[in-house]
Amino acid sequence: MTKLLEWVGGVLVLGAAWALVTFDLLDLSLPQTYKEVAWPMPLYLLVTFGCYSLATVGYRVATFNDCEEAAKELQEQIKEAKEDLRKKGLKI
Amino acid sequence: MATGVDQAVGMSLVGFSLLLFIYYSIWVIILPFMDRDHVLHKYFLPREYSVILPGIAAVILLLCIGTFTAVVMWKNRKPKKVD
Repeated sequence: MTKLLEWVGGVLVLGAAWALVTFDLLDLSLPQTYKEVAWPMPLYLLVTFGCYSLATVGYRVATFNDCEEAAKELQEQIKEAKEDLRKKGLKI
Repeated sequence: MATGVDQAVGMSLVGFSLLLFIYYSIWVIILPFMDRDHVLHKYFLPREYSVILPGIAAVILLLCIGTFTAVVMWKNRKPKKVD
């Protein structure tokens, strides 16, 4: 069982459970509030993942150690690369 | 540890995403269980907007990426050679 198959299987199971609740495929007559909470779930998970990514990026920006020499070296290399590309004709 | 602007920007990103997560969670998960006349409902838009607003944000993001790509490609077009 490859990792891909595991993930696809997991997504299918969760998707089936979500569809069952949202579209009432088994006519379970759930209370209306549960349906109201369930149907935006995929979008909610996406927004949560986006927030988590943003927080991780922000936290790592805040806690990354400054490296003065590497920063200067990088600026030099950026200038060189821009010159090189400009000679070859790329315009930004 | 990073200093100055880096720390400020990083921490403000963390704070912003935390606020966004909490607001969106309350909107989607907790509000349906509150009575219609609870005071909390005053601070939230109708629930349809909890789907429409992220959709609009995604469209704007895609528009920005597409526009940037189009502008760079436009600036670098070369006229076809004529034999």
